[in-house]
Amino acid sequence: MKTIWAIADKRGFMLTLLLIITIAIMSFLNQDFLSIDNLVGITQFGAVLSLLAIGQSLVILSGRGAIDLSVGAMLSLSGVFLGVLFQAGMNIWVASLLAILFGGLLGLINGVLVNFCHIHSLIATLGTQYLFSSIALYLTSGTPVSGFPSSFGVIGQGMIIGIPIQVVLVAVPVYIIMWFMVYRTRAGREIYLLGTNDIAAKFSGIQVNKIRTLIFTLSGLLSGIGAVVTCSWLMTARADAGTGMEMESITVAVLGGIIVSGGKGHLGSVMLSVLIVTVLNSGLQIANIDSVWELAILGILLILAIVFNNILVTKKIAYGGNVTFKDKGE
Amino acid sequence: MKQKYIPLPGYREYFTLIILCAEFVLFALLSNKFLTEQNVTQIIQNASEIAIISIGMTIVIILGGIDISVGSVLGVCAIVAARLSAMGVNPILVVVLTICSGIVAGAANGLLVSLLKVPELIATLATMNFWRAIIFLMLGGSWLTGFPTVFNNIASGITFSIPNILFFILILYFVFWFVLTYRPFGRHLYAIGTNMEAARLNGIKVKKMKFASYMLLGALVGLSAIFYIDRMGTVEMTIGSDLAMQCIAAVVIGGTSITGGRGSVVGTLAGVLFVAVMSNGIVLLGVPSLLDHAIVGSLIIISIIIDVLLRKRIKKRRVETKTRLTIS
Repeated sequence: MKTIWAIADKRGFMLTLLLIITIAIMSFLNQDFLSIDNLVGITQFGAVLSLLAIGQSLVILSGRGAIDLSVGAMLSLSGVFLGVLFQAGMNIWVASLLAILFGGLLGLINGVLVNFCHIHSLIATLGTQYLFSSIALYLTSGTPVSGFPSSFGVIGQGMIIGIPIQVVLVAVPVYIIMWFMVYRTRAGREIYLLGTNDIAAKFSGIQVNKIRTLIFTLSGLLSGIGAVVTCSWLMTARADAGTGMEMESITVAVLGGIIVSGGKGHLGSVMLSVLIVTVLNSGLQIANIDSVWELAILGILLILAIVFNNILVTKKIAYGGNVTFKDKGE
Repeated sequence: MKQKYIPLPGYREYFTLIILCAEFVLFALLSNKFLTEQNVTQIIQNASEIAIISIGMTIVIILGGIDISVGSVLGVCAIVAARLSAMGVNPILVVVLTICSGIVAGAANGLLVSLLKVPELIATLATMNFWRAIIFLMLGGSWLTGFPTVFNNIASGITFSIPNILFFILILYFVFWFVLTYRPFGRHLYAIGTNMEAARLNGIKVKKMKFASYMLLGALVGLSAIFYIDRMGTVEMTIGSDLAMQCIAAVVIGGTSITGGRGSVVGTLAGVLFVAVMSNGIVLLGVPSLLDHAIVGSLIIISIIIDVLLRKRIKKRRVETKTRLTIS
């Protein structure tokens, strides 16, 4: 029994196993599923999700029960902002850059509300979620903005040697940068310390509120990048582009072993769980199962992941094992 | 000597009542259609579901939890009620079964939160999506309409130019005000919300209370589902999609602390009216309805900022008085 929990505790190993099982089930449901072309092609459905999931994971990691419910709405609003700028006659690439920065600004609003106005992050981001998505809807007045130049579609639709560009040039580089920031710099260590014990962090001279605000801003920036990718992929800026994304990103983060009370979990496992959810979603689509089930399965998956995490945490205490840096770091 | 406990509304309830009155006067001045009998009746009838569900939401939030699945649960209950009454089942049985299905949904949340220790937000986020999927499945992309209403003209009727639903809401609020202020159940709620560990050590059954309050919320959602189908006569796919936000807004504007332990149903009633009057008033003023969510969303944030500022000020004043007393 002890060994089973020990294996389960190696989150990366367990998730790889889960991924293989998911792929096996999906290829059982549909013969065409298991081909290199298909598997590589599927990754493009996970690129935007991975961006949002990284932002969400960092927010949850920073502790105090922090959560960002507005990632989907920020994605919608940044995308619509891009569309509006483009309609106003701005160069599409400049508009994209501004949209990313705009996403950062939205994240900054969240961060300031949570950390300097002392609103509980749950309520603050619930409020801004409705605020942002409503403004996005108002700006487009319900009709999607389209007519982007075809060169813009390269980010979302282009391929390099059979691999989608949005994966090679967006998702992977962003992950590498974030990985470097979190595990190789001082700031990353501070995020983990904040999540573990924020009073200790405060007394060791870390500017708690400032770092938390920066994390929310980062989450906004990543949503902004996600918005540009989505716009280029669909070639339209829709006000409902990010609907439901917050749910997906939280599910992915929790499945990846980010403990909701903060301070524990690894970004690499989060990327693995992005792959699992992506394979699951597109596998269901290929197998022609009603897309309604995606929602239900995602919900069940979320709860199972949390219950599993809880069991792991209690088991660990039962073994007398203490929390070391090894659990949180590499 | 045993002192009688008489709770009075706090500064926060008065504050909400004042801004409610101010809002009322403002809209009455700005639009001449606002203060008509028809419009006021409309406001009360539109607010009925939010008013009923907000009672349960207040209880859950006082406990330190939250429930964002109420909209989807309302949908499921409404479908159950509509299907049953279309089958010609006895109205009383319809009501009982609908409330029971609400209780089952609430119990699912309570189970996840209290036994499996899933954080409230995440548990209800998951069940929200689960029940939404069930709604899609049950409706299959179409509308449910043409079913006989359960209580024809009782819930949506009008006596002495006052909508019947108002009497019902007021009775419900009075009952819950009494329970929350004078009964052990209510006092235990506040104790758990203030300090869960201390409450547990004092012998309060925390898990049981959490479970019970989620079930209570589920029952109230089931009850309001009946009023919903009586009033609307249709059930569509997106039913209740922004209900959770409006309820949370009403509760928070009414002065209930989102971290638990403070708040009252009196404040919630004022908050419900505030949100209802606001969403009615902005339509009369000609604000685009697409911005409706934006206004409610920013209202939540603004009211919490005010709450934080007010509390800080009061704390400061208390400290000042204390030091003055110690000096003298």
